[in-house]
Amino acid sequence: MVSPHGILLATHIISSSYGEQCSKVCDCLLRHGILSLAQIIRFTELTKESVVNCLRVLFNQNCVQPFSSQREGGFGEAPRIVTQYIVLFDNIIHKLRAPKFMQIVSEELGSDCLNIFHGLIQHGRLSLNRIIERNEQTTGKTDVQVLKESFNRLLNFRFIERCPSPEPFLAPQDNEEPPVKKRGARRGETQEVLTVEQRVLEAATPMESLRFLVDVDFASEEKVEETHAKVTLGKKRKSEAMVPDEDVMGAGEKKEVLWRVNYEEFVRRLRDKACISYVKTRLNDEASIVLSAILELSKNSTVRHKVVESAYLSINAIYDEVIKKDGGIGMDFDHIRASLAQLGCTCSSADGEAYSIDLKGITDKAQSEEVESVVLKRYGREAYRIFRLLSKAGRFLETDKISDDTFVEKKDTLKILYKLWKDDLLDMEKIMLNGGKQVAFLLWRVNKGPLFEKFRDEMYHAALNLRLRIIHEQEQAKEVRL
Amino acid sequence: MSYRGRGGFRGGRGGYGGFRPAKQVSFELFPEIEGLGKAEYSTEHFKLIQWGHEIQKFWKNSPYYVKDSSQQDELRDQQSYIERYSDRKSQATKVTSHLSDYMELGPSYLPAELARGGKKRKRRVKWQVASDLREQDLFEKLLQKDQEQGDKKEDEDEEEDEENIEEEEEYSDEGDYEQGEYFDDDEDDFNKPESDDEGPIYDF
Repeated sequence: MVSPHGILLATHIISSSYGEQCSKVCDCLLRHGILSLAQIIRFTELTKESVVNCLRVLFNQNCVQPFSSQREGGFGEAPRIVTQYIVLFDNIIHKLRAPKFMQIVSEELGSDCLNIFHGLIQHGRLSLNRIIERNEQTTGKTDVQVLKESFNRLLNFRFIERCPSPEPFLAPQDNEEPPVKKRGARRGETQEVLTVEQRVLEAATPMESLRFLVDVDFASEEKVEETHAKVTLGKKRKSEAMVPDEDVMGAGEKKEVLWRVNYEEFVRRLRDKACISYVKTRLNDEASIVLSAILELSKNSTVRHKVVESAYLSINAIYDEVIKKDGGIGMDFDHIRASLAQLGCTCSSADGEAYSIDLKGITDKAQSEEVESVVLKRYGREAYRIFRLLSKAGRFLETDKISDDTFVEKKDTLKILYKLWKDDLLDMEKIMLNGGKQVAFLLWRVNKGPLFEKFRDEMYHAALNLRLRIIHEQEQAKEVRL
Repeated sequence: MSYRGRGGFRGGRGGYGGFRPAKQVSFELFPEIEGLGKAEYSTEHFKLIQWGHEIQKFWKNSPYYVKDSSQQDELRDQQSYIERYSDRKSQATKVTSHLSDYMELGPSYLPAELARGGKKRKRRVKWQVASDLREQDLFEKLLQKDQEQGDKKEDEDEEEDEENIEEEEEYSDEGDYEQGEYFDDDEDDFNKPESDDEGPIYDF
C-alpha cells in the first residue's frame, strides 16, 4: 500500500501531465489496489470511452500494468479469464526524475543518444521505426546508421530496455501451502512471499537474455542497407530500412518490439553514487574506490531492487578493477584488504579469496543518518543523542539506561521520549513487575521499517507542497503579466 | 434528549444551542515558515528545470493529455459564452493529433478490451508540437533563417509587409460607416428625384 501523501503526489503528477480524468483513474487504482475495467468505470464514474482512453495513455506511459488471471466462476460456470490493472507507483514518481535521467544520458553518451532518450521519455514506449521517424523530424538528420549506433549504445549501457508484455498471465497461487524453504539456502535466504505487484512485474518482464537484445535480424538489416546504399540515397533508404523490421517476425505476425526507459539502471546508478559518497565521507577515499570497483563488477548481476549483498568477487577481479579507477593505481592487495575489512565485507575462502559486500547495511546506515539529522533539527541535541542511541542499539532499552548512557536527566529523558513516541518515531512497551511493590518499566525502541516509511511519506508531502507552490507562483506571475 | 434544544433556550449547557458569531481568521494559502533561511539564486540546475518544463509542455499539448470533451461543450452552451473570431480561427488551424499517431493500439500491443483495430496512419505525424508558439516567435524564427540565407530575406519581408497591409485594409473596413468620396447618402436608386419639368405621368 502506498502512503497517503504518496498517493496525493502521484495523482498530482498525473493530473498535471495527462489531465484530470487520468488522475481520477490513477487515484482509484492507488486506493483500491487491483481493479478490472468495469470496477474502474464504476468507481470513477466516468464513461467507458474515457476510462479506456485514460488506461491506454497510462499504459503507454508505463504507469499501469494490465494482467490476466483466472477467476473462479459462479455456480456451474467454468473459471474465466479476467483482465485486471495494477498501478506502478514507482514509475509515476520516476516522471519527476526524468530530467535527472536525461542529464545522466547526456553526460555519458552525448546529444544523439539524448535525443532518442528524450523521445522515449515523452512517449513512454516507441518502436524502432517510430524512433527513426521522430529523429528525422526533430533533428533533420536522415542517417539511419548513426541513429542505430546511438540506439545500440543506449542498449549497451542498459539505459533502455524492451517493454514488458502487455498482458501477462498470472497463474493462480496456492495460498494454502506455506512457502517451502529451499535446502541449502544461502545465508538464510528464504523463499519470500511475493506481493501480487511483484509477481505481475516478474511475469511481464521479458527474459534477462532478451531484455537488452535488439532483433536477431538487426545484423542482416544492415547488410540489406549496405547493398542498397550504393544504388539509392536519401529518402528511399529510410523506407527500405523500415520495411525489414516489420517483416522480421515472420509470416502474418507483424508485431514490432517496443522500447522504453530502463528505470532500474538509473536507480542503481544513483544508489551506487550515494553509497560511494557516503563511504567517502564516513571512512576514507580508498574505501570508496574499492567500493566503486565492487559495484562496477556486480552491476550486471543485481536483481531488481533487492540488493542485499553483492555476489562473491575474487580479490584478483577487485584488484583489476581498482587499478582502473582514479586514485586506485597506488593501491596494492594489502590496502584493498584493509579497505574491505573497513567496509565490513564477508570473506569466503572457498575458491580462493572472495569477498561480498553488504550493501543493505550501507544504505541502512546512510538512511538512518538522514533521519537522525532531521530529529536533531526538530527536537534538539539531547533528543538527537537519545534517538541515535536507540537507533544503533536496534532493540528495546529501558528509560533509566537511556538516561545513563546519554547523560540526560531522567525527567528530561522521559519528556523527550514521550514526544518522540507521540510523533510515531519510537515504539513503546510497558512492563509491570509484581515484586514487593508494583514497578512499571518503560521500554523504547526505534523500529526502522515503519520509521523509514513515515519519512518517505514526509518527503512526498514536501515534494507535493513544493510543486503546488511553484504552480501557484507561476499563475501569480501570469496574472501580473496580463 | 429531545429537550436539549429547548434546554438551550433557557441558557442551557456548554456551547450547545448558543450561536456565537464565527471568528474571522485570515486564510493564508502559503504561510511564512520561520527559520527556513533564504535560498541562494543559482543557475546550476537550470538545464534540469528547462528539460522538466519542456516535457510538461509537450505532454499538455499532446493527445496524452486526455481532455474532457463534454466540459468544452458545456462551456459553449452557457449563455454568457460569446464565440470569438480567434476561437473560430484556432479551431480551423489546429491540427489535432490522435493517440494512434504515437501509440500502437493493435490487439497484440494492448489487452483486448483496450485495443482498437487501427487503420494504418497515412498522414504525416507531428513529432514536434509547435501549437503554442506565438506568431511573434514564428516570425523571429523566420527572421533568423533569413539572416543565414541572406538573399531571400528581402522577398520575405516584402511578402510580410504585403500581408500586413492586406490585413490592415481588412480590419480598417468599417462597412457602411466609412464613406467613399463619391458616396452620396441622399442618392436613392429606387426613388430617383423626378425631373423638374415633368409631373407624374398618368396614362388614362
